[in-house]
Amino acid sequence: MPNVIKIESSNYPRLLKAINKDAPKQLYYKGNYNESIFENCLAVVGSRKMTSYGRQITEKLVSEIASRGITIVSGFMYGVDATAHKATLEVGGKTIAVMPCGIEIIHPAYQKDLYQQILENDGLIISEYEGDFLPTLWSYPQRNRIVAGLSKAVLVVEAGEKSGSLITANFAKKYKRKVFVVPVPLTSSLSTGICQLIKQGAEVITGAGDIIRFYKPKEIDFDNNLRKDSKSDYHNHKNNSDLSEMEKIIIEELKKEPMKVDDICRTLKIPISRVGITLSLMQIKGLVFEEKGKFYAK
Amino acid sequence: MFIKIPSATNLGLETIGVDVEVNIASRGLPVFEIVGLPGKAIGESRERVKTAIVNSGFDFPARRIIVNLAPADLPKEGSFYDLPIATGIISQVLNVGLPKDSLFFGELSLDGNLRHTKGALLLAMFAKERGFKNVFVPRQSANEAAIIKDINVYPVDNLCQLFNHLLKKSELKPFKYQPNFQDKKTTEPEFDMKEILGQEQAKRAIEIAASGGHNIFMVGSPGSGKTMLARALPDILPPLSEKEALEVTKIYSAAGQIPAEGSLLDFCPFRAPHHSISQVGLIGGGVIPKPGEISLAHRGVLFLDEFSEFPRSVLEALRQPLEEGYLTISRSRNRITYPARFILVASSNPCPCGYLYHPKKRCVCTEREIKKYQKKISGPILDRIDLQVEVPVVDVKDLSQHQKAEDFLEPSEKIKQRVIKAREIQRERFKKEKIFTNAEMKNNHIKKYCALSLEARRILNQAVSSFDLSARAYFKMIKISRTIADLEGEGEIKAEHMAEALQYRLKNTQEG
Repeated sequence: MPNVIKIESSNYPRLLKAINKDAPKQLYYKGNYNESIFENCLAVVGSRKMTSYGRQITEKLVSEIASRGITIVSGFMYGVDATAHKATLEVGGKTIAVMPCGIEIIHPAYQKDLYQQILENDGLIISEYEGDFLPTLWSYPQRNRIVAGLSKAVLVVEAGEKSGSLITANFAKKYKRKVFVVPVPLTSSLSTGICQLIKQGAEVITGAGDIIRFYKPKEIDFDNNLRKDSKSDYHNHKNNSDLSEMEKIIIEELKKEPMKVDDICRTLKIPISRVGITLSLMQIKGLVFEEKGKFYAK
Repeated sequence: MFIKIPSATNLGLETIGVDVEVNIASRGLPVFEIVGLPGKAIGESRERVKTAIVNSGFDFPARRIIVNLAPADLPKEGSFYDLPIATGIISQVLNVGLPKDSLFFGELSLDGNLRHTKGALLLAMFAKERGFKNVFVPRQSANEAAIIKDINVYPVDNLCQLFNHLLKKSELKPFKYQPNFQDKKTTEPEFDMKEILGQEQAKRAIEIAASGGHNIFMVGSPGSGKTMLARALPDILPPLSEKEALEVTKIYSAAGQIPAEGSLLDFCPFRAPHHSISQVGLIGGGVIPKPGEISLAHRGVLFLDEFSEFPRSVLEALRQPLEEGYLTISRSRNRITYPARFILVASSNPCPCGYLYHPKKRCVCTEREIKKYQKKISGPILDRIDLQVEVPVVDVKDLSQHQKAEDFLEPSEKIKQRVIKAREIQRERFKKEKIFTNAEMKNNHIKKYCALSLEARRILNQAVSSFDLSARAYFKMIKISRTIADLEGEGEIKAEHMAEALQYRLKNTQEG
């Protein structure tokens, strides 16, 4: 059964209507349509080729923001989009996926588990296209205007020079919505787009608090220190007193910067077999994790 | 006039006796015919033999000459029948008797000289087995044949020299085996481990692979040193025993890969075929099946660079030999078994563009392309690979002077000593079994020989849940930890051995 909301309807998202002639004539949707979901929307967008840092920071920010009842809107693409959806679902938050294709199509197809999870957790899948309309080159940027239009603010995580996230950010500016960006190392190729946005006046955030304050200025009982909770984790482990001297040193080093095994071996000047043993045990204990050949402290 | 000269034909590594019968009829029109299913090379030998006899100054009888290679229904191949045929004809012309218990072997050149001919070692082995005392071979192949002791190997330069010997005008002296006759350069290692800077983990993985005979999978960007590491591997393998060396040399002899004046191959072979190789090229084959690269890598290392670029059908053909250590090639006419026990070193880029983990260059692949690329290698093949290691690009600037210093880096020789020790422990352990290394262990061997300490078992069980290890990964971890424990000289697999083994599990593949 086709679920459609026409622009004339009173249920049509208010913010989206406000973008006037850019607003789609109708929205197809899947899931429980409930107007409250559109109340406090934050678009989280970023590169498809996110780095490990991008993934980590997206997870961290989104889980804090979403747990405060703010709806996370994104484009269901792999990379930052999918990470944002997943992180939201993990903390039981609400999320909206805006598709660049017809409502019957899952794109990319291999993310159908995520698709199901969004629907099962009171999330919403929406699109301005009906049925089995296939995604095309132009429908992606078109989709981005809905992502921006639904949200009070857009958070850009990582963006390269020609990232689709910049299109979303530009729409946001056009519709007079706030643009937040996450700081990125300047050495990263995914900083180009972010730097561009900063120069154009986007607000750099230093923690989830900056965004939560924007949505709910009255709530002040949050902590804006990103490293804080991980630090307390560390102290917990310390209290458990099962951290060896070497584990402590490795965690210290990895907090500064993620490293390859060989780098750890060289920096700490211990034989590779010892490093391997310690890292395996730390992985099992959940103190560190490995991604793309590098080790990160949790 | 009729004469029968014993000879042989090679079918794979087996040698079958063949009689070369030469008859010069006193009646009939002049003709020179070879019968007995000769291959193309033997058919053409008529022209070679005729010209060589004339050019050596002998008479070529204008009679009806029939050469029969018996048994008549066995197909024969090779160029080495030139010498027995020529000898048969000339001996009748000159009316000299041939010495008893003698084999003649070699390809003739048109001027009557003998050329280096493949398969000399196989013939010499056949001679010894069947009680022949004298073997006449081309001088350049003499060192190969002389590997076999207790037979007289006569090095022959040309037909005249041979008949001077047979007529007892000037005698040939049996050839004395010259070990290590080969050019030193071919046996010297190309890379020493101490020349490889950084790559601590990869080097350790190579050491473990060498110790337990484990197959290893290296993942790294272009230029990160995968090839260098693979080439350093044969050098840390234990030296071949005499029996093993003979096995290897036999295969090379059958394939015609022993150079002129070459002899016993006493170093571990290293084969690195390009990924355009055909299935027959890799595993062997042909009408009379020849050994492929996997057999030429027997007792050594088979390095398949750009593993995922190899055609799937070619890689799948590796399954049986990786499991069994030999390969049987069955054709309509014959069935030939070649040994193929080697360490497989496979290497691949982390993604289609190659720069996924590169510290400086940017990877341009999408997540999907990367997933697809990493899934290209089939499960059954990965099943047979125990270790995986990432080979990062090393920036020499990142290494301190101390780390580049000679004495900090271990030379291959030192690593080799540890590997030899670990292999000795394994030989002792498996002396009642049919296997030699930890990599060959089956589940029943694992149960019998891999006692895990309580702590090691706990870690492994935890790893199963935290790393999502499959059942087969579970057993691989036990095998690798067994090898690590052997390197330490420990009887029981302890927690630290298991923990280290976990670092070398297969990642980023469908095995997870």
